[in-house]
Amino acid sequence: MLKSANFRIGETILGLASLGLGLFIGVETWSTPPIAAQTVIGPGLFPALIATGLVLVGLQLLYEAFLHRLQVEEFPELDWKAVILVAAAFASQLVLLERLGWVVSGTFLFVVSAMAFGSRTHLRNLMIGLLLTALTYLVFDYGLDLDLPTGSYVEDLVDLAGGTV
Amino acid sequence: MNMDTLAALFHGFAVAATPYNLFWSLVGVTLGTAIGVLPGIGPALTVALLLPVTYGMEPTSAFIMFAGIYYGAMYGGSTTSILLNTPGESASIVTALDGHAMARKGRGAQALATAAIGSFVAGTIATIALTFVAPLMVKIALLFGPTEYFALMVLALTTVTAVLGDSLSRGLASLLFGLALGLVGIDLQTGQARFTLGISELLDGIDVVVVAVGLFAVGETLFTVARHCFEIEELYQLKGSKWLSREDWRRSWKPWLRGTALGFPIGALPAGGSEIPTFLSYLTEKRLSKNPEEFGHGAIEAVAGPEAANNASAAGVLAPLLALGLPTSATAAIMLAAFQQYGIQPGPLLFDNNPELVWGLIASLYIGNVMLLLLNLPLAGVWVKLLAIPRPWLYSGILLFATMGAYTLNNNIVDVALLWIIGLIGFGMRVLNVPVAPCIVGLILGPLAEQQFRRALTISQGDASVFFTHPISLALIVIALTLVLVPTLLRWRAARQASEAANQA
Repeated sequence: MLKSANFRIGETILGLASLGLGLFIGVETWSTPPIAAQTVIGPGLFPALIATGLVLVGLQLLYEAFLHRLQVEEFPELDWKAVILVAAAFASQLVLLERLGWVVSGTFLFVVSAMAFGSRTHLRNLMIGLLLTALTYLVFDYGLDLDLPTGSYVEDLVDLAGGTV
Repeated sequence: MNMDTLAALFHGFAVAATPYNLFWSLVGVTLGTAIGVLPGIGPALTVALLLPVTYGMEPTSAFIMFAGIYYGAMYGGSTTSILLNTPGESASIVTALDGHAMARKGRGAQALATAAIGSFVAGTIATIALTFVAPLMVKIALLFGPTEYFALMVLALTTVTAVLGDSLSRGLASLLFGLALGLVGIDLQTGQARFTLGISELLDGIDVVVVAVGLFAVGETLFTVARHCFEIEELYQLKGSKWLSREDWRRSWKPWLRGTALGFPIGALPAGGSEIPTFLSYLTEKRLSKNPEEFGHGAIEAVAGPEAANNASAAGVLAPLLALGLPTSATAAIMLAAFQQYGIQPGPLLFDNNPELVWGLIASLYIGNVMLLLLNLPLAGVWVKLLAIPRPWLYSGILLFATMGAYTLNNNIVDVALLWIIGLIGFGMRVLNVPVAPCIVGLILGPLAEQQFRRALTISQGDASVFFTHPISLALIVIALTLVLVPTLLRWRAARQASEAANQA
């Protein structure tokens, strides 16, 4: 059962996550003051059921991880550096998207994640990123009447230059 | 044969065959095939990613386009499994087995052809079946009260969970996570905000599109980037004759029909999905074959049967979706979300209130199938080129479109943040081999089940025994319990026998 050591870590994480989420929902539901509404069943019953289920499944997973040699499965080998790079590039969108706008910030996401996938043709990636984002920006904002952000900084810049977007 | 149904269907054709709607159908099948063919993108994600494109359209045309995307993504998915051995969803795993083996032997074109023609045959027969089954289902649904609906939803939730993956606990964890996500937002009956963490954007709840795109697109991309330096892909080009030989036809046509016969009924059950029929079809063909040793090494029957079963069940899944408002697959869950976005609630009333939409949609399935056959047989080579897109560009593009899809949902950054968090969770689930479909179906069915549950108890004045005293409800709950308990018992017995055998040895 040596090989399953890694996998047990996985089952443990999953078990703890279920347990944690279950307890969170349970406590939150428990501590919410009941609403004096004219309903037989309040808004708390379903969350309580789900919380109970999560706790039970969490315990079962932990039991499987520690006491039960149920399944032996290979934990896949992972390139964590690449994962963190992509996740970080994605997270940067939360800050950049509405400030620098879809075209700039989307291109940045494209270039960085292409890099994480091992691409070394940065300039070409940049061009493709620009092309994709510019095209979608035009189609969405002018064709479909949906708003992809122009970017508040970009708008300021355009204002400074005296133009309109 | 029901004359009303035929009249309604003809009316549907009148709606679907206008040049305007034909155009959207063509756009749908083309986009569906093109996106569905990309590795790592299954039908569920294809529909979710293309949802923003339809925002500005009127519902009937939008759903005609969706129907095209749905069927198109099924065709596209089989191309990927056959030539690249990367099935985009669990239902294409079986196709990948022998389909890829055929591609290795240089018979990729024949595998694609039998899959495409089989999908057409199955899709057409199953759509005919859908035409007549859906109205029947509506009649049954009209007998259902909240109690029965709740029991039906419990059944659907349990089967999605119990059927997928090999660990019941992991499936349950996924389902409960989805149900928990479904709690977020304002409680419809009391107006109380639940689990919004003080974020006002969460009052409307978490959008199923964000969850689907997060789990499928972002999670999958993170997993692929984590694994890309350990795995080598083998893409097989099409070469030689593109056509099926007389021998291929002879070996294919029965599996097509048998696959259809398995796929539609199981897909149409409120507990269906397409995994079971594809596996059953594979096993059936293997048992009936004169040379079962070919299976796993490129038997054409093993592509023809499961592909037919897959497409037939895709049509079958639409029956409970349209007639009962009950999604039984991840893709159906997203279609339901799309309906809700237009303020339309699928269910028995839909057939009365929006006959144009329902019958236009069903008629467009017939039309879409013909278009797809034409798109996929002569143009197979074009779609294959899409498989050759360099992976860095492909996955970066997927991330880009995922972000765009999330942002344009409500034009706020909170959905993008949610997408990121759920993407990381999806990555974790992928690493730990936790099935994703139960989570998505749980998210969309959970709030509906809660409403029915509370309605049922309000009618019975708090008496919970109604779920067991109403015969239909009792039967459904017993079936749900059996589906969970029997495999568990069987597994337990097998484990005990194995340990006994080990002790004796």
